[in-house]
Amino acid sequence: MGHTTYSYGKTLLKIENVSLEYDGRPVLSGVSAEVKDILVPGRIQGQVVGILGPSGCGKTTLFRIIAGLMKPTSGLVTVNESGTPVRAGEVGVVAQTYPLFEHRTVLGNLMLAAGRKEKDSQVAKDKVMAYLREFGLEDKFNLYPAQLSGGQRQRCAILQQILCSEHFLLMDEPFSGLDLIMLEKTCELIAKVANMDELNTIIVVTHDVTAACSVADQLWLMGHGRGEDGETGPGSRIVKQHNLIDRDLCWEPGIITTAHFTDFVREVKEEFRSL
Amino acid sequence: MNHAVAVFSPNAVLNKTAVRILVATQVVLVLLLWIFSPFVLLPKPTEVLGALGDLWEQGLGAELITSFLLNIQAIAVATVLSLLLAYATVMPFFRPIVALLSKLRFLSLVGLTFFFTLMARSGHELKLSLLVFSVSVFFVTGMADVIESVPKEMFDLARTLRMGEWRVVWEVIVLGQISKVFDVLRQNAAIGWMMLTMVEGIVRSEGGVGTVLLDQNHHFRLSAVFAIQLTILLLGLFQDYSIGLAKNMLCPWAVLTLERK
Repeated sequence: MGHTTYSYGKTLLKIENVSLEYDGRPVLSGVSAEVKDILVPGRIQGQVVGILGPSGCGKTTLFRIIAGLMKPTSGLVTVNESGTPVRAGEVGVVAQTYPLFEHRTVLGNLMLAAGRKEKDSQVAKDKVMAYLREFGLEDKFNLYPAQLSGGQRQRCAILQQILCSEHFLLMDEPFSGLDLIMLEKTCELIAKVANMDELNTIIVVTHDVTAACSVADQLWLMGHGRGEDGETGPGSRIVKQHNLIDRDLCWEPGIITTAHFTDFVREVKEEFRSL
Repeated sequence: MNHAVAVFSPNAVLNKTAVRILVATQVVLVLLLWIFSPFVLLPKPTEVLGALGDLWEQGLGAELITSFLLNIQAIAVATVLSLLLAYATVMPFFRPIVALLSKLRFLSLVGLTFFFTLMARSGHELKLSLLVFSVSVFFVTGMADVIESVPKEMFDLARTLRMGEWRVVWEVIVLGQISKVFDVLRQNAAIGWMMLTMVEGIVRSEGGVGTVLLDQNHHFRLSAVFAIQLTILLLGLFQDYSIGLAKNMLCPWAVLTLERK
């Protein structure tokens, strides 16, 4: 298996010691992590981070903080080396149910997003139509969200966020309830979106270990963690990080069928149980 | 599935022809029950139709127009007021005020007539204000519930699209819930007709179908009472159908996911 040459560029997203208390109860305790631009000579390479953790460990809370939809009790999330706290809209969010404005057509939903960045409506429309063609939705532009299939709705929700955000896309449980074929298609879609721009960064929040390993270039394992006494900590944090590039576990077609990948998934699952 | 079985099966969906047959059968059944009812005080359909003809000759049409216009006017004012108040609940300042207004629906109109009389400049204004009040307290309750039940993810969606909070309100609450306004309107327009007869009974200066109804009731002319009730029911059904039609035309997305369209 060939080792891909890569290096890290600038920091794209930084989570610094983020803690959150809810009704006096610690939910997150000192979450720290960062995403750097992955530079691969000769190609555009986006970033995909998988956040894994058991149900109720605060993944969605962290997700909302990264998206700027919620303020942490302490700590900071910054994007693009700005040094200022992330604001809603800088990071695209694709929720688990793929919400769209039901009263607008596909084109209406996407124009709403495109119009936030592009004031010339014809330019915005051309951009939207180009994306619709790229994502195989060009003949659905006039439909309402309720008329779309699950996969079409997912693509539309992703497109809406891409059109508006600054290279960042958070996806909450994108693999939940999908059959094998849809799951593969979703992984392909994530890779496709990530590699549309060098700075594109997709953070996938999930508890599907195999799917996360197959799509991500780094994994963040979230949980309460255990001290030396075996007791769990008060709030969740990122307990462990895996760099899948260094382990030759990404960007290779058919990697998920290898024993190497299966072993890694088994290893992560073991870690998952102790989170 | 056999239609006879289907009509008694939970969540069964019938085709349009089957629905028509079902409705026609039930209407015929009700008519038969009415015609052959053993209650002697219950006027027969022929008596009701006869009374309706007499009432029509005595000017029921004009009274109906008076009532219909008053009701439409009251519903229009109540809708605007209630929507403004319900939308205002996006601001914390207005939430207790709207909650208090909503609780006023437990009060009787009769007990409030005196206060409204002091404020109104004419009989028409008094009737209108009483109707607007009685419809608004229900309308604002329904709309405030609609607004409160908007899921958080819709607000999140709007915010991730870089909308300011007023734009969020416009997109998520005003436009996003517009189809539900028609549903609430349908309920409250019907409440308007219920209240109308009461209000026209309290203020008789302009006449109206409520005044006629109370007069006929007072003289125990049950055929005429039934005739008026039947007329109000038909007008109400027309009004209900019109609102439903307007909803389907203006909010076509609202029925796409319904099992029983």
